[in-house]
Formats: sequence, C-alpha cells, structure tokens
Amino acid sequence: MSTVQRDRPPAPGQIRPLVFPAIERRRLDNDLAVLAARHGDLPLVTAMLVVDAGAAGDPARKAGLARLTTDALETGTRTRSADQIAWELEHLGIELQATATWDAAILSITAPRERLEAALELFADIVRHPAFPEAEVDRLRDEQLATILQNRKEPRALANDMAAHFIFAEGVPYGRPLIGTTASVQALTRDDVEAFYRTHYLPNASSLLFVGHIDADTARDLADRHFGDWPAGQPTTPEFEVVPGVETRTVFIVDRPGSVQSEIRIGDIGVARHHEDYFPLLVMNTILGGAFTSRLNMSLRERHGFTYGARSGFAFRKRPGPFIVQAAVATDVTARAVEEALKEMTALREEGASEQEVAAARDYLRGILPLQLQTTEQLASRLADIVIFDLPDDYFQQYRQRIADVSPDDVHRVAREHLRLDRLAIVVVGDAERIAPGLESLDVGTVVIHQDY
Amino acid sequence: MVRIPFETYRLDNGLRVVLSRDPSVPVVAINLWYGVGSRNERPGRTGFAHLFEHMMFQGSAHVPETAHFALIEQAGGSLNGSTWLDRTNYFETLPAHYLELGLWLESDRMGWLLPAMTQEKLDNQRDVVKNERRWRVDNQPYGDWDERLQAMVYPPDHPYHHSVIGSMEDLDAASLEDVEEFFRTYYAPNNAVLTLCGEFDPAQARDLIERYFGEIPRGPEVPPLPGRTEIPPLIGGEVRERVEQDISLPRLYLAYRIPPYGDDEFYTAAVASHVLAWGKASLLYRSLVRDRRLAQDVVAYAFPIVVGSAMLVLWATARPGVEPERLEAALLDEIEALARVEDREVERAIHLLETRRLIDLQRVDERADQLSMFTMLFDDPDRINTELDRLKAVTTADVRSFAERFLGADNRASLLYVPRTGGAA
Repeated sequence: MSTVQRDRPPAPGQIRPLVFPAIERRRLDNDLAVLAARHGDLPLVTAMLVVDAGAAGDPARKAGLARLTTDALETGTRTRSADQIAWELEHLGIELQATATWDAAILSITAPRERLEAALELFADIVRHPAFPEAEVDRLRDEQLATILQNRKEPRALANDMAAHFIFAEGVPYGRPLIGTTASVQALTRDDVEAFYRTHYLPNASSLLFVGHIDADTARDLADRHFGDWPAGQPTTPEFEVVPGVETRTVFIVDRPGSVQSEIRIGDIGVARHHEDYFPLLVMNTILGGAFTSRLNMSLRERHGFTYGARSGFAFRKRPGPFIVQAAVATDVTARAVEEALKEMTALREEGASEQEVAAARDYLRGILPLQLQTTEQLASRLADIVIFDLPDDYFQQYRQRIADVSPDDVHRVAREHLRLDRLAIVVVGDAERIAPGLESLDVGTVVIHQDY
Repeated sequence: MVRIPFETYRLDNGLRVVLSRDPSVPVVAINLWYGVGSRNERPGRTGFAHLFEHMMFQGSAHVPETAHFALIEQAGGSLNGSTWLDRTNYFETLPAHYLELGLWLESDRMGWLLPAMTQEKLDNQRDVVKNERRWRVDNQPYGDWDERLQAMVYPPDHPYHHSVIGSMEDLDAASLEDVEEFFRTYYAPNNAVLTLCGEFDPAQARDLIERYFGEIPRGPEVPPLPGRTEIPPLIGGEVRERVEQDISLPRLYLAYRIPPYGDDEFYTAAVASHVLAWGKASLLYRSLVRDRRLAQDVVAYAFPIVVGSAMLVLWATARPGVEPERLEAALLDEIEALARVEDREVERAIHLLETRRLIDLQRVDERADQLSMFTMLFDDPDRINTELDRLKAVTTADVRSFAERFLGADNRASLLYVPRTGGAA
C-alpha cells in the first residue's frame, strides 16, 4: 500500500463527460407547446404546466389574485368536488403542486410511469374545467388573509416584504407581497378568480413539460389526448414600468420590540433576466454573497460571528426584480454588520476581484450545474425557466461556456454598474430602541423608523 | 421495483464503508455518519455535538482554516453537515473527478482535527451557533416547539430530553478541552460509516479509501449513552403547557411516545401520520381545514429516532377567531377517529409514501445518506431497498390498533401557543 501525500490537496482525476438532457419540442394544434426531456433511470415522470398567469398580471387593487387562482384550481371541476379530486390524485400516490411566481403559474405532478396517464386525466380536468365553488374560494381567500397576518409576526417574511416595499416605487407590482395585502385580498371574490382564469389560462399562453421516463412523441400524444381540444384564446401581457422607491440611500427600521436578532435587507432594483450582463452578474454575485466562501459570508459569519449566514442575490424576472444582501444578526452588532456589508459591496465595486477569485466563482457555477439537475422535478423547473424567459434549447451547454467567458474585467465592470451604493434601501427589522442609535451614528443615510406595518 | 445496488466492507480500524455505484451521473456523493448526536451530551453541555460539527469545518492538520469550504466550492461541489439526536453527518457532492479531494478532506478531519483547533475558532463558531439558535428558535414564532415537546415527552434523565441546538448557557460554557475530549471519544473510524454513491471506479475507490482512512487509529469503545435510555412505552398521563408569544394565531402541538425507529410499529406510526395529515385528502385536512374551517394548516410527523421511544408530533394552526379549546377538541376527535380508519385511507397514505420514496432516491446525496443511516442505525444497508416493504406491510388493523394503544390521553403532551395579551413585549 502506498502512503498518501497529505500536505496538499490531491490533483483531480479524469474528467467525466457531461451530457445534458436533450430537449425536444412539439406543438399541438391549439398552440400548446410540449417539451420533453428524457432524464434519470427511475420509472418516474414529472409533468409541469407553465401558464403565463403570474402575479405580475394581477389587476390593480387585486394583488394576490394570481396566487388565489392557482390554489382554487383544485377545489372543484364540473364533474368532481374538491374532496374527489384530492382522493383520486392521492390514491394514485400523487400530489399536485400549484404555485404562482411573478412571471407564471406553475402546476406539476410527479407520477410513477404506469400511473401517469390516469394522473394526467385528472390534471387536465383541474386545469381546464375548474368550477371555483364559492365556499372553497372563500375558504382559500381567508387562509391567504391569515397567512398575511402571520407574515407580519414572522421576521424573515416581514423583512422580505418590507424590503420589496421600499426598493420599488408605489404602484410597482414587485413592491407588494405576491400573496397580496389584507386590503387587496379581502376584496377578492370568486368572480375575480374566474375572470382571471378565463383571460390567462390558455393553451397558446402555456407550455406542457414532460421530464423523466418518457420520449417526446409519447409526451405529445399524451398531451394531445388530454389538452388537444383546449380552446385557444387571446393572451394578455402585463405592462408596467419598474421604478425605484428611493432616490438616495436610506435606512428603514421596522420596529419589532423584543427582537433578539435584526433581519437586515440591503436592496436595490436588479436587472431583468434578459439583461446582457446576466452571466457576469452571476459570477459577481457568487463572489459577493452567492456561495459559502463568498466575501459577505466569510466576513459577517466566519470572521465576525455576527450571523449564522450572510448572502446576496438577484431575483431575475421578466422585468428587473430586486437585488438583495441579507443576514440575520445579533441585535447588539446590527450597525457593525450593516457597516461590514457595505464595506464588502464598496470594495468589490471599487477594486473588483482577483483572477483567482473570479476563476473560483466560475468553476463553482459550472460545477454545481449537474448537481442541480438530478431529479425530474429539478430539471422540469429549469425547463420552466427556458419557456418563461424564452431561452435557447441548448441553454445548459451554452451556460457553461457563457460562465467560462466571464473575465475579471467583466466582474469589475458589472460591480461598478450594478452595485449602486448611493441609492440603497437598507431595511432592518428589529428592536428600534436598541438598534436606532448605532444605525444613526453609522451615517450611511437618513434613518426612518416604522412602527405601523 | 427499484433496487439500489451496493457493496459493503470494513477497514481494519473499524470504519464501515458502503459503495453504491451509479455510472449514469457524472458526480459522486461522499457521506459520513458519526454515531454521536445530542443524545450523547452530558448535563451542562447541551448543544455541544452541534457546536463540534461546526468546528469540523474549521480546518485540520493539513487543511488550512477556510480551505475545506473553498476547495469544494472551487471544485464545483456542494457540502454541509448536520447534527441530530442520534447522529452527526457530513457530506459533499462533487464532480466525479474530485473524489480524491473529498476523501482527503474527510480523512484529515477524522484523523488530524485537533492540531488545528484554537480558542479563536471556537469563540467565532460559538457566536455563529448562538446566532443560529436566535435565528431558528428565539426570534422565530413557535420556534421552541421541539425543545419544549422533547422536554415534555422524555423524562429529564433521558438522552432526548434536551434539544439539539442546546442552551445559550451551555454553549457559553463549552471549552477547547471539551472539543478535545469529544473528538477523542466519538470521532473515530470505528464510530463512523463512509458511503460513496455515484460515478467512481470501485477498485480505485477501495484503494483510495484504504490509503486515506486506513492509517487512522481505531478509537476506544464508545461509552454508553448518559442517563436512562429505558423508559415506559407511554408517557403515563397528559402533560400540558401553555405559552404566550408574539404571534398572530394560536397553534396547538400534540406529541406522543411511540415505538422507536426500526420497530415494526414505527412504520405503522409513519403510515398513521400520513393518514392524518399528508395531502388534501388526509383526515385532518378534510375535517379541520376544508370542512370545519377551524385550522389554517395541519402537520404530522413521526421522528425517526431509536433510543427507547420515538415521538409522533402533530400540529394545527387556528384560523383567526377560532378558540384554541375548540381546535383542540376537534383535533382530538379526529385522532380518535383514526381507530376507525378505512382501508382506502391507509392505501392512500402508502401510495403517497411509495411515490415520495422514488422521488427522493433520484438524488445520489439522498441515497448516500440513507445507506449511511441504515448501516449506522441497523447495521443493514439493504434497508434502503426493503424500507418500502415495511411500510407496505402496514394494514388497516395495524393503524387502528396503534391509534388505540398510543394516541390516548395517557400518552399525550399538549403544547399550546397563544398570542401575547396586554400590550407590547
């Protein structure tokens, strides 16, 4: 037996070839796009319907409607009650996942291959013939209201909601909670849900994705049997401008007396998914706060012990979503944590990052991609991005190359352009009495204390 | 049905190894279970097993302070560790050609951790862990529910009486001497399982494992668990607690002592928890959420833990305006109705469990963790393939009988959270 050299990391071995699942497309006569990707070796299929019915399309004063609609779909069809739907699906061993993002409504099931057709029949009935029973819609609306109530007492949810509120100007959809506000949700009715459904749930505004133990032609035939006679209609697209909520850097303290931690959100408007700097921004953010060894986490956690974790990220949407730096820190170090976070942002903006640091971030992003594509559900979610943002079908192959092309100069340039330190909304949910003096003396912007929220 | 292939063997120093090759993925998952968790902590040192887990990422004799995370992330891998009542696990998933890097890192901290330990690192990670406690428990609505339930279900001298995260006072008391003693007592090859899952050459993997781990000396026999591990199968009465917190809605938790994980009746409890609260056709969702509109949500979960008794936990959050007393009465009615459960309800639960298991086993990291778990807890990695049979063997009669024997008032801990009254805190 040979001994090993322990003094330095062993060299990597032979690289295995990476084969990404091929995406095949079909289209039904009603314009429903069908995408299929063979994946994995277990007898499972994820079927996911992506509908252009996201919360960005909530009508004015009806925030929370897209979300209520996705929840209400499974509460009754022309021929099945809510209870029947649940029994039939779950007796097949299948759970329906239904959610609204800002850009889409996403409904999915993951089924053992031999139960796929039976499940898809139910799935199609839910999507195509919802009855929206009034009693059930009322119940779900009340549950949504109760969740809004709970989020006010939950510091992380409260911090996220308040950050969005201050980052975006009044009236920008992204500035309010996706699930709506007490006032907007209280006013929602069954008829609102039905109207939203009729204008948004259309085959020509949808894509049906099949991932797993299935080929494209089988997927197409299945789709045709269950969605082929779904009538097309006239899709609508939300129109709005994204406008910042602050002109100059401002500190908003959201008072939560008795808090033993402060939830910090340092935010600004980011960029849309289509922005040409998407790949350099991914690398830049990985260096700033997108990995465990990012600058923010190494400083706030590993050097200072202020927090269990600090990170940053862009929410990429069809329009510019928020860019947020975040950490939950002990109350007595709140101001110092904000100071260190700003210091890291400034340093990256002013000095950029070394060749070595950029190379490490690129290698991290390239390497973890296959780890994030292990399950049929994971891959289906990535295909959903491809259809929502109209990305090319060889996106995964391109992804690795586009990341590899990012240079230290690119990173420095996007840090200068997109880390706008002069117009940040610094939101801190915590005990105002204990944290306000420190934040005042930091002198990083006007401090405003909010007690009613 | 799906079968996960594996081979298993033991090094001379006692390290158990499980190799499960899956050439269809270009990655390899490395997973280590150490047979130590919060159950092994002595009085005055609650939370120490978890604090120690953090120290395992702070470098070792040949690995510089921040290198563990940095080297794996630069390789394009993901990593973490976690501490629970019965065990501590460490894991990384890497592109397959970085297998040796992972083995180097894991073997160095198994064999050569102590030379790298310093007071400064301990103080830093103590602060991080205290912030983890604030984040998970102290600054979070209902955040101390598991801590309170464990204390209600298990007597003070039982290893599960205290929580994994531990108390602030005990975290403050932890010293470098504790780190050294804990390492020498529990972190030895004979108290660990190493599993590889994914793409690797088995012959090469065996050779590398022997070279990296073979020279680590066997440790002493692991001491018996502190305290009293044998307890009566039932609590022996009803234990009640009422907590006022800064919350919007009352929430009621119920907990019961149940047979330990591995016992046939534990699988009955797992099925029963799914009958009760998994999915929108579950008994509690149908009744409390959909029909009677008393609850905002319902959850049930059987803790898979092995010392003496496990624990079945249920909770329901009251809808606005619903009195907690009404919620409790309704919840107890439905739990009683479990003794009259029908075949189709049990079938539904088992079918859901079946699909969920398939979904979970798609991930190499999940497979590796389960292989380590079954080897550590039951010395039987093949349970990854037979676990489903144990669940499918549960009958309606089993669930009814389980409900009658274990879910009564003589075995119940009831923990109620209510919004704080009388002004701000």
